[in-house]
Amino acid sequence: MECVVQGIIEAQHVEALEILLQGLSGVPREHFKIHELCLKSGPNLGAVSSEVRLLCNLERPEPSWTVRHIGGAMRGPGAEQLSVLVRTTTESKVSKNALRFFYALGYKLDHELLKVGFMFHFHRVALITVTVTSTNKMPKLHVIEEAIPVTPGMQLVEVSAPATADNYNEVVAAVSSFCEYLAPLLHLSKPGHLTGLVPTVAAAAASLMSKGSGQVL
Amino acid sequence: MATENVQGQAQAQAQAQVQAEKLNQALQHQLNLEGVRTRALDLFNTISRLLEIFDPISRANPNLRKWQDILGQFSMVNLELFHIVEEVKKVSKAFVVHPKNVNAENSTILPVMLSSKLLPEMESEETSMKEKLLHSLSHLPVSTQIERLKSRIDMIAAACDGASKAIADARKAYGLGSRQVPSMVPPIDKVQAAKIQEQEKLLKAAVNVGDGLRIPGDQKHLPSVLPAHLVDALSSGDGVHPKNPQAISTNNIGTQGTAIQNSYTQFGGRSVPSPSGGTSSIDNTSASPLPYANSPRSGTGMMNVPSPQQQSQQQQQHQRQKLMQLPQHQQQLISQQQLRQSASPGLSQNAVPQLHDFQVQNQQKFQQAQFSQPQSHQQLQNRPLQSAHIQHNIGQSQMSQANQLRSHLGQYTGTASTALFNAAQASTNSQMMPNMPAAISSQSILPRMQLGQRSHPSQMLNEQMFNMGATNSANMAQMQQQQQFGGVLTNTQNLQQGLVNLQNPQNSNYPQQRQPQQ
Repeated sequence: MECVVQGIIEAQHVEALEILLQGLSGVPREHFKIHELCLKSGPNLGAVSSEVRLLCNLERPEPSWTVRHIGGAMRGPGAEQLSVLVRTTTESKVSKNALRFFYALGYKLDHELLKVGFMFHFHRVALITVTVTSTNKMPKLHVIEEAIPVTPGMQLVEVSAPATADNYNEVVAAVSSFCEYLAPLLHLSKPGHLTGLVPTVAAAAASLMSKGSGQVL
Repeated sequence: MATENVQGQAQAQAQAQVQAEKLNQALQHQLNLEGVRTRALDLFNTISRLLEIFDPISRANPNLRKWQDILGQFSMVNLELFHIVEEVKKVSKAFVVHPKNVNAENSTILPVMLSSKLLPEMESEETSMKEKLLHSLSHLPVSTQIERLKSRIDMIAAACDGASKAIADARKAYGLGSRQVPSMVPPIDKVQAAKIQEQEKLLKAAVNVGDGLRIPGDQKHLPSVLPAHLVDALSSGDGVHPKNPQAISTNNIGTQGTAIQNSYTQFGGRSVPSPSGGTSSIDNTSASPLPYANSPRSGTGMMNVPSPQQQSQQQQQHQRQKLMQLPQHQQQLISQQQLRQSASPGLSQNAVPQLHDFQVQNQQKFQQAQFSQPQSHQQLQNRPLQSAHIQHNIGQSQMSQANQLRSHLGQYTGTASTALFNAAQASTNSQMMPNMPAAISSQSILPRMQLGQRSHPSQMLNEQMFNMGATNSANMAQMQQQQQFGGVLTNTQNLQQGLVNLQNPQNSNYPQQRQPQQ
């Protein structure tokens, strides 16, 4: 299971967000470049088609593959009250013939996208991962070099943390309290909801980017 | 305290510039510095004495160490230390730092750390700063000096207050640090807000669901140059890479395409088992195309592996041939069709040459088994399905082969053969395969063999069929059941199932798992 929220930020404020995240997390930022292939199962694998995502991490010289299945989200009145989406996820590292394997099983490529950006991975009550990425689509199949951003001026921020059925309450609390720190810059909410921009973002970004922010008091 | 110090300093300055600075008398009295100093010195002496006494004893005679005595002395020392610390603590919290924990590590560095005397450089810096500040005032009487200094301090304090106020006001204005929505912030105009919302929808839909990212079917062909990580992922993995990548790109993958192509490539890359068995009076076509540099035939490694498989499969095939007589002929033929049809869109040129090679090895055994089985009408019906479904040429060579076959087919009359000709014109070789057996269903073996040219597709089909035969007979039974479903996709499934069985003999889980699903 994982707890996840998403938000948007304008590309001009990404640097300010990075400074804020750097300060909050205390870890160095890591580059993030993932080619995500979304595969849908064919009718031979059941009446309801399922979706599987293959993520190829292109950050290192040797690409590493991960398979990820995103399950249904938690439902019910309790879930409605949470500001964080809790959903089942299964993830595993796989070898590079995973794509062939899934094709052989009958999965077909539904869509693919390329996410480029940076991420922070740290522990703050829970193991939180914050990724700020520009999502790119490829007009030609698999041609990564020609990827163009889906929304050029806007990037996606995703805060996620793994959880189990026992401890998801604490993880939810940890994630939402962390998100409050980011409140001046962006508003984070469940992936399905639209958030819009935060009115204070310009001022907050300006203050973060000003020289005074770098000085030790 | 600060003012007292200043006064003390002023006094000192007033008295004499050379004299060292002294603290205020009252303060001195309070601190009882002299007393503390004496005590500290005493303690120091005691400890060193004890050390002197006990050290040689402990070194000389380990047995004679009298712990009780030592402990007694130690407790005295401890008491003294305690008293000193109490004295110091009372008064000098503001001035003195005393260490909490002294051990071997920090004992040497502590005196340096505790000393309040400035390092020489720092001291000189401080004196120079003092000079600067007081220089202007030095000529005045002390009281005036004090007043001026006071006024300076007040001015600085006022400036600090003003600055902090300004910061607080700005904070309020911009809403930083407060969690309520500020009222003073100008609202974003509606047009911009709408634009932003639209962008947001686009982005989130793309990331979460994939809207706007799907490529229409006709553009879904693999590019000629794949990025490195995908080359690895999609390659056949056995050292066989396509000779002409453009051939791949010309395939219209459609719904099945990538899946089947990849699976077939996989199949072609690894399907070494070429069933060989039975006698054959058919001459091998000498024109087996060998100039495929990457084909397994030219490599040595691949050839070693198949032989044991071939032998075992020969036996299997003999048995299966007998088994798969009339009652099962339908199923086999349909499986042939399935194999063919699924194979054709995915045929890359590397797969074809491989199969050609295999066929060259194993033609004889196949031909008999295949052609001995009559076709059913069902397959004839399936053919138009296939031809409609598969619309691409795989390559010119295949087309030429098709033309060759056509000439041979001239001997056969009937609707089947005309259908065959039409199909041959429009479709690929693989489609011709079902047509051929259909045409020759009623014929004897000999004329079929004369069809000759061991139509490569026919060889392919044979091999495929035998490959299917090499799998569990249970699978065959299942495929028979699945005939009823018809449709292309189930055929694909069968092919893939067979492929999986073929390629992963170790993964016996697969057939078992899939069986219940079906």
